Amino acid sequence: MIGVQTISAHLKKMYFCKVLSLFFFCGAAFAQTGKVLIVNTDNSVFRYEKIATEFKNALQLNAYKWTEFDLERHINDEEELKRLIQEDPPGLVFCLGSEAFLLADKLAHNKKMLFSGVINWQRLAIGEKTNGVANELSPMHELSLLHYFFPSIKNIGVVYSESFSLEYVENLKKTALPLGINVISRSNNGQDDINAVLTDLMPKIDMFWLIADPGVISGLGTMQQIFDTAKQYKKPVYAYSDVFIGQGAVLSISVDLATIGRQAAGLAIKMDMDDKAPSGVVQTPVGSTITLNKCVLDMLKLKFNPDALDSVNDIVGCGK
Amino acid sequence: MNNYLIALLAIVFVLSPDVYADNVAEKNSLEKELAYLAAERKMLVTASKMEEHVDKTIATNTVFTQDDIQHIGARNLIDVLRLVPGIGITQTQTGWREIEVRGVKTFLSEKVLIMLNGHPLDHNLQNAGSIWVYDDLPVDTIKRVEVVRGPGSALYGANAFLAVINIITQNAKDLNGLHTSAGWGSFDTQQYRASWGKHFDNSAEAALHFNFTDTNGINSPIKADSLSVQGLNSNAPGKSQLTEGRYDLEWNLGYKDFKFDGRYINKKAGTFFGAATILSDDKTRQDYNDYFLRLSRNWKVQDNFTIDTQVYHDFYKADNIWQFTPSYFARTGFQDTRTGGEVQANYHISDTHAVIGGFSFSKEQQGNILDLGGKDPQHLLPVPLLTAEKIRKRWGLYIEDVWDPLKNLRLTVGARYDRYNDFGGTFNPRMGFNWEFIKDYSLKFSYGTAYRAPAFGELALINNPVLLGNPTLKPEEVKTFEAGIIARPVMGLAAQATYYHSAINQIISRDPCQAAISCYGNSGSVVAEGIELEMRYDFGGNLQGSYISANNVLQHSVQLGRQLADVPRHRTNLTASWAFDRTWSSFAHVLIKDGTLRDLGDTRLDVPGYALFDVGLLGKNMFGKKVDISFNVYNLLDKRYYDPAPSSLNFVGDYQMAGRAFFGHISLKF
Repeated sequence: MIGVQTISAHLKKMYFCKVLSLFFFCGAAFAQTGKVLIVNTDNSVFRYEKIATEFKNALQLNAYKWTEFDLERHINDEEELKRLIQEDPPGLVFCLGSEAFLLADKLAHNKKMLFSGVINWQRLAIGEKTNGVANELSPMHELSLLHYFFPSIKNIGVVYSESFSLEYVENLKKTALPLGINVISRSNNGQDDINAVLTDLMPKIDMFWLIADPGVISGLGTMQQIFDTAKQYKKPVYAYSDVFIGQGAVLSISVDLATIGRQAAGLAIKMDMDDKAPSGVVQTPVGSTITLNKCVLDMLKLKFNPDALDSVNDIVGCGK
Repeated sequence: MNNYLIALLAIVFVLSPDVYADNVAEKNSLEKELAYLAAERKMLVTASKMEEHVDKTIATNTVFTQDDIQHIGARNLIDVLRLVPGIGITQTQTGWREIEVRGVKTFLSEKVLIMLNGHPLDHNLQNAGSIWVYDDLPVDTIKRVEVVRGPGSALYGANAFLAVINIITQNAKDLNGLHTSAGWGSFDTQQYRASWGKHFDNSAEAALHFNFTDTNGINSPIKADSLSVQGLNSNAPGKSQLTEGRYDLEWNLGYKDFKFDGRYINKKAGTFFGAATILSDDKTRQDYNDYFLRLSRNWKVQDNFTIDTQVYHDFYKADNIWQFTPSYFARTGFQDTRTGGEVQANYHISDTHAVIGGFSFSKEQQGNILDLGGKDPQHLLPVPLLTAEKIRKRWGLYIEDVWDPLKNLRLTVGARYDRYNDFGGTFNPRMGFNWEFIKDYSLKFSYGTAYRAPAFGELALINNPVLLGNPTLKPEEVKTFEAGIIARPVMGLAAQATYYHSAINQIISRDPCQAAISCYGNSGSVVAEGIELEMRYDFGGNLQGSYISANNVLQHSVQLGRQLADVPRHRTNLTASWAFDRTWSSFAHVLIKDGTLRDLGDTRLDVPGYALFDVGLLGKNMFGKKVDISFNVYNLLDKRYYDPAPSSLNFVGDYQMAGRAFFGHISLKF
């Protein structure tokens, strides 16, 4: 009997709080302290940190508040995150990176979810109330630019791991065909000898496309192997990030991380303002930087569309 | 001149900070990007949407990749195994090597299961074990060697008793063309290999390997034998005659979900000392033929439910001539076959829960028994057969459940029941957990049992006044529990400490009996326990490719209250590999082995411990990544060291092992 009375009193108290909350918080459901939860895979990783910083700046400008949870800084991240979500339920969870998304998705049932910094989001099971900003540009966008820059390129080679990039590469292949480009792919699961895969692929292609695949680029050594082999076969490398220009990539189209952060914040605010905002929307990054390595371009004597130079943001010469 | 120098220095001072700053910024950006990829790599989501966390196995395992094998300059499987914590290699009088695991060593190494691409190689049904043709397996075609220490019968069935060694060879994708290699070294050793592989667009694939190896052996001095100590005419003092020559062919053909693979090996060898108490002359000859054929298919029922099926046929034939006295030779031979199949279902219940279960069956048969004897090895006459023809049927049922109830906790529970028509059934469970209690720090615990099936020779040895078989033998049993801690405190550093305790019972041993000097029986037990400490640090940045590693085992194996003979109490391996650049690297290895005790009643001094120092130089991916070369020096300091000769050969002294030895190797890819 005592137990029932206690529960009844507790329920009354909760009801009173709910009524109060309706009066005070009906305007912006998570425009209050702790209502946006930012779950970061590892805030010391530059890409996550940069996106998070811009995301927070944009939230601040719109008078939103947030709580942060860095998985890397918690010993028992699952338990602690679970407790945090239970004790202070967020209106929206913004996840940076695959690990953060997979964990938060498991723990924050029926919460609005937003993700970014996830490699090949299509490999994830995206539930309801989930939106995101992709890590990659749209394949059509990149392929069109490549076709514009290098009209004579017909065969592009990609090495990927099935675990991380299968869906992305399949999409790439389908998108490339109407443009008259053939994407020749080879899978590599990280345990196989990448040398053998590269030496098989290089003679068949006009250009190598380096995608952000953690299963393939497993370290500095693998990356160097890729560039060395491309150099040996005199094949240009197109890379997803300008950090590879110094390694010998001829062209890169890098997504702008600050823009991704702001895009994500825009999506978050939209999801907050409109409960009927569509879910399952994954935007492609809208900002990008195109870098051309003139030194490699000249060395390989590649046919480059001179009109396309206007589109290039940064040209790197041999001196650098 | 001075002005020129000043101007040059000024240019250097003015320009270099910018150049340096650019380089540092570029390097930092690259490292940041690699750090991001590494963070994303931590969470692997497979095509079936199942999360797999790395390092969650409950087993204690060591993996050598092809790159590791190249760096250590291994000539054969034994060279790889001797670096594994808890494993030691010693010479036997007949020629083959003993693989000591966790303080337990037997003449035939029958308590270790060796597998090739997951297929068991214990084809010798008469005497068990796999070392007959596999101890000196060439390593050029090997992609990976996985060594799991501890009992494995819950999954693999018979003979996965103390350890399972799985050798994985290069497939079509790894080869993608023609690879050849050759090696030459001390003792007139030569090795040649040719491999070809291709993955076709219609999903067909083919990989073929051919290996040839030949060596004159180390010609170890043998000071005495049972005749020479009596002043009788003898070959002693003389030298060991362990010549070894082998060739083998391996194939791996695939089309869609079907695969057909196998390996044929022919090995001819002399002997180290001989099969008896006298030093054999060059007339002792061992001749082995071994192959297996396997046809397998993977069936994908649903994304989360697959079935693996296989049928196989194993063949083993021995035809050996042994010298028992200066004027008496025996020729013994037999032929073993094992034909069977296996069905294994793999069901991923959820992202964090998977179950596998299977059924296996086989028929084992021994026939074509040959027993001849006489004075002239070329003209031997039939003698009463020493072993009987035999047929054995067996089947097994197994199940294993791998469940991650928490992100940082993996539970594994499994069991297997095997039924034999000759000795009955045996049930072997396995269970354990792996708990990451603090980020990058994990605890492991496991308990399991395993069995070693009696070999045909132990069950059915007949007409031998020295030793007789026992048809009522039961399998040997081991119960093992182990606990360990794994730590990755900083990037690149991995350390592990494991404690194990194994109780071995129903040991098949030679007991005194009335019908002969001894008969096989299940008697005696051994308790083996120890601590295995391992550490490896992989350097990053400009030193990428370099590493240092160390392992040390402290082991104590007791039978009848006494430390086992010929097994050291501790063993240490220290290795370092230094990458000078992306092509050249050097390797150094120190093996420190404790001295070993003698058997009870053996009055010889204990076998002294020793330290050996090996070095190597490796050049990889030269001339357009088509050429690898290496040169290794084993026992650089020419240390004289000995492997223990058994008490029955106490007059021999011990077996002196190889002094300084060289091996050069070149590999070409086309």
